[in-house]
Amino acid sequence: MDAVATIHPGMLDSVFGVIDLGAVVLDHQRRVVLWNHWMSRHSGHEAGMVVGRDFFAVFPELRGKRLDNAVLQALRDNFPAVLSQTLHKAPIPLFANHAARTSGVRIQQAVAVTPLAVTGAARHCLIQVSDVSAAVHRERLLRDQALELRSQTFSDGLTGIANRRHFDLAMEKEQRRAKRSAIALTMLMIDIDFFKAYNDHYGHQQGDDTLIRVAGALAAMLQRPQDLIARYGGEEFVVILPDMDSASGARVAESLRQRIAQLAIPHAGAPGGHGSQRITVSIGVATQAPHQPVEVAALIGAADRALYTAKRHGRNQVVIENP
Amino acid sequence: MLELSELQHDALVEIFNIGVGQAARAMSEIVSEEVTMSVPSIRFLNRADAAAMLGHTDGQRVCGVSQHYEGAFTTEAILMFPEDKSLDIVRLMVGEAVPFTELSEMEQEAMSEIGNIILNSCVGTLANLFEHELRGSLPLYHLGSSEDILSATGGQADTVVLMLHIDFILETHQIHGYVAFILDLSALDDLQAQVDRFLAKIEGRG
Amino acid sequence: MNDSKTVLVVDDSRVSRMMARQFILARQPGWLVEEAATGEQALEMAQAMSPVLILVDVNMPGMGGLAAAGHLRVMCPHAHISLVTANVQNTTRNRASQMGIGFMEKPITEERIHALLGALE
Repeated sequence: MDAVATIHPGMLDSVFGVIDLGAVVLDHQRRVVLWNHWMSRHSGHEAGMVVGRDFFAVFPELRGKRLDNAVLQALRDNFPAVLSQTLHKAPIPLFANHAARTSGVRIQQAVAVTPLAVTGAARHCLIQVSDVSAAVHRERLLRDQALELRSQTFSDGLTGIANRRHFDLAMEKEQRRAKRSAIALTMLMIDIDFFKAYNDHYGHQQGDDTLIRVAGALAAMLQRPQDLIARYGGEEFVVILPDMDSASGARVAESLRQRIAQLAIPHAGAPGGHGSQRITVSIGVATQAPHQPVEVAALIGAADRALYTAKRHGRNQVVIENP
Repeated sequence: MLELSELQHDALVEIFNIGVGQAARAMSEIVSEEVTMSVPSIRFLNRADAAAMLGHTDGQRVCGVSQHYEGAFTTEAILMFPEDKSLDIVRLMVGEAVPFTELSEMEQEAMSEIGNIILNSCVGTLANLFEHELRGSLPLYHLGSSEDILSATGGQADTVVLMLHIDFILETHQIHGYVAFILDLSALDDLQAQVDRFLAKIEGRG
Repeated sequence: MNDSKTVLVVDDSRVSRMMARQFILARQPGWLVEEAATGEQALEMAQAMSPVLILVDVNMPGMGGLAAAGHLRVMCPHAHISLVTANVQNTTRNRASQMGIGFMEKPITEERIHALLGALE
């Protein structure tokens, strides 16, 4: 019984012929010595037509480009080289099939050039071409998905509380629920007073830090699981208080207002005498009554008008307006 | 530690500048933009000092591409950039504006090619001017701390690092990186002997 | 044929200047090779000489090679000026030809110098 596996004559040729990647061997003068079946199939050049010719005469567009350089490094310097699919989409004109060839869509390639020592002759080199179209396609899909996911996140990057998108979705949900269950729905519109002046005075870095503190303080005050605070705009926050009537909502608003004032964050940039030169908030309160559902926009509009009134009447206060 | 004469130092700086200059040309051809690279200075350091110098990236990871060379001398050559800088280079070369916080696999292999181009160019110029034959390996990609990369790529206690400062300029972006050659004592001797032979030749003595 | 002509080699690398000197003198032993380490120095020196050839390294600190070559072009209208660089960019190549300046690739080799000198004769 044979203990040794046999390499039959012609086996290496067969392997060379069937491997699923392009393999080309060039001699020291860059002439094609070997050209495997994969190359014939995808380049449209049969071996008989290219063997003995300068590789860069077969593909003149590659002259002076990276592959030319890589072949030089292999033949002259004895160094291997790689051509990544990211930097070179499809350097060699290779096509998956006839349809691709007609429409000019090339196979996406990863290429490696390796020096080959040859007994009795000057150095040769081997060019290997892999079809990476599938990998590139997968990578692109993953990238698109990641981008999509990122645009769907619900937290505000700076403060960590819910973002505008989250609020929009939650508000719609709560409004429907309030209508269905015939319960009240209150929302608060909160705006930091003289925030632009704060940024101008202390800089945006500190402005950001203060936003984070205020958001944190407001969020910590909300007791019930169904309550939601979100960042609505630059220095604006919005709070959803489901199943809460106007009076209770106003009490919550007042406790929030006091909490922020108690933080005693200095605001030397506020107009003289305002709030003892510290950070304060103005709050507008709007409530949708249990059996009087309104459009979300109308509720937001009412809270917004209430906020505006609070600003006009000196800030650092709570105003109620219902739709 | 190796003490080079001013002339020996000049020779190495000039040789590496030629190497990265040719690499810049190759990269410029790929992106069809003007790319410039230079080696403003070189230093010999022990491994610990080299890691410390590279470690000034505030705990940020370093991206390294290494290739092994042997023949007339043996060395592990590593191209290194701070992780975010290497991402910048790849994006500049690829021309994409997709914001990613991590190097994807495609970007890793793009960086591998960039390392392959730069290292082969540097070592190739050295080998050609010294008229010596070497063999090279395919690029290996590493991401980690500078200590990790320097030790992973080999080197026992008695190794010296020849550190090149590299300036890479594409469009208006200037990016600073390093190429490190890890040499054991005999490789260091070989290198110094080659430099002397080269100098003798160009001074008309050899 | 070999009356003493002057070549000015401008490069911040001493080794690079040595290489140029060696290959030039190998071909034209009677010639004079002057060296400048910076563009500024080259301009000073060029005022007092009439070089037949000026080699200018592109990658120099201070006044770069391109700017120096531009000035030298004006100062020495009869000299053949070649920018020398390992990084032959199309943009630089175009600017150079506009100025009437040639190009030589680094590394400076015997073949390249001899080809250039041959073209001058």
